[in-house]
Amino acid sequence: MMEMIRMVLVLSLICGASGFTLATIRDATAQRVEEQELTYVQGPALNQIFSDIDNNPVKDRARIADAQGQEHIVFPARKDGKLVGVAFQSFGKGFGGDLGIMVGFAVDQGGKNELAGIGVTTMKETPGVGTRITEGDFRNQFVSHPLDDVALKSGGGDIAAVSGATVSSTGAVAAVNHAIKTFNEIKDKIPSEFGS
Amino acid sequence: MSTLWKEFSKGLWRDLPPFRLVLGLCPVLAVTKTADNGLGMGLAVIFVLTLSNVFVSLLRNIIPSKVRIACFIVIAASLVVCVELLMQAFAYPLYQQLGIFVPLIVVNCIILGRAEAFASKNTVLMSTADGLGLGIGFALSLTFLGALRETFGYGTLFGKSVMWSGFEPFTFMIEAPGAFVCLGLVLAAMNALTNWQRGVKGLEAVEGPKHDCKACGMCNTPLK
Repeated sequence: MMEMIRMVLVLSLICGASGFTLATIRDATAQRVEEQELTYVQGPALNQIFSDIDNNPVKDRARIADAQGQEHIVFPARKDGKLVGVAFQSFGKGFGGDLGIMVGFAVDQGGKNELAGIGVTTMKETPGVGTRITEGDFRNQFVSHPLDDVALKSGGGDIAAVSGATVSSTGAVAAVNHAIKTFNEIKDKIPSEFGS
Repeated sequence: MSTLWKEFSKGLWRDLPPFRLVLGLCPVLAVTKTADNGLGMGLAVIFVLTLSNVFVSLLRNIIPSKVRIACFIVIAASLVVCVELLMQAFAYPLYQQLGIFVPLIVVNCIILGRAEAFASKNTVLMSTADGLGLGIGFALSLTFLGALRETFGYGTLFGKSVMWSGFEPFTFMIEAPGAFVCLGLVLAAMNALTNWQRGVKGLEAVEGPKHDCKACGMCNTPLK
């Protein structure tokens, strides 16, 4: 009996101490880990969208809630201290699971907005087929595209799908449309968050 | 002092984990595409192995023997999660490269093997020396294998070009089969070296295991 109690006690103590230590370390590193993750996972996509900026969008990020109260991490792009665009991540259904697309919006001072471009953050598409949505031929179609009528040619729009990768292309377009919907909900909050 | 040095140095040659004990081969084969990856993985293993030896040795008198394996695994797992968090925070590209193999250090047989065979029976100081020695041996082996494969597979070493211009990389070396072939060649070289050393000392050469029908019994061939 004594031995059994001792076994339970020792194992619980070791597990408890380990849990406590790990929770402490996790707390201490959480912020740095988040920053590193954003820099290495979302950073490259941001660089593809905004090539001519002089701030660090990952560092200047902010959380903005949409109409449903869901928070989005929004990355501002600045040139000469002026806000030229914002970008945030949106998801669509790809061929191999969720397709993460960073969607950039050019914020025009005259009140008219357009897409600044897209970049792929996470995907599990078929190598050599679906993965071609990361190539310029597909991505560049979104640069300077107006915010309405983003659709594939088969759906009456003007975006040419990657041949053989209809599912991946549809997923990307769906992610962009989802992002546009979110953008329209949060665009009024952008000046108060990032200035102009 | 001399025993301390003996415990430390045995991991560097006599009990060199992947090439002598042939233990913990999963990361050895999987992450040694480049010398950088091998070194990174090796450093993570040094950290986990040394500290797991220290904690197991510290707690060896209060851990009941019936639940000792569970205790060892909890200790090793906590240390591995520590390494994973620290790597995410300070070396994210390395973390992306090593991927699943960082959490898999938990089930690396060297960690549990040293806890069971050495740390649970020896003092903290001895266990530290043992863990450090085997860990460093493991890291050096991984870096060596990584350097070999990177040199021939990419024509670079630690990311810097080392081969002549116009060198056509053997892509085979950085694929999974290349890992097996490299490991096999290194093991063969180690055995040849051992036998040569024994020859110099005037000892008889060690032969490999003899496979005769007694060891197998799969077919009905009569025994010689």
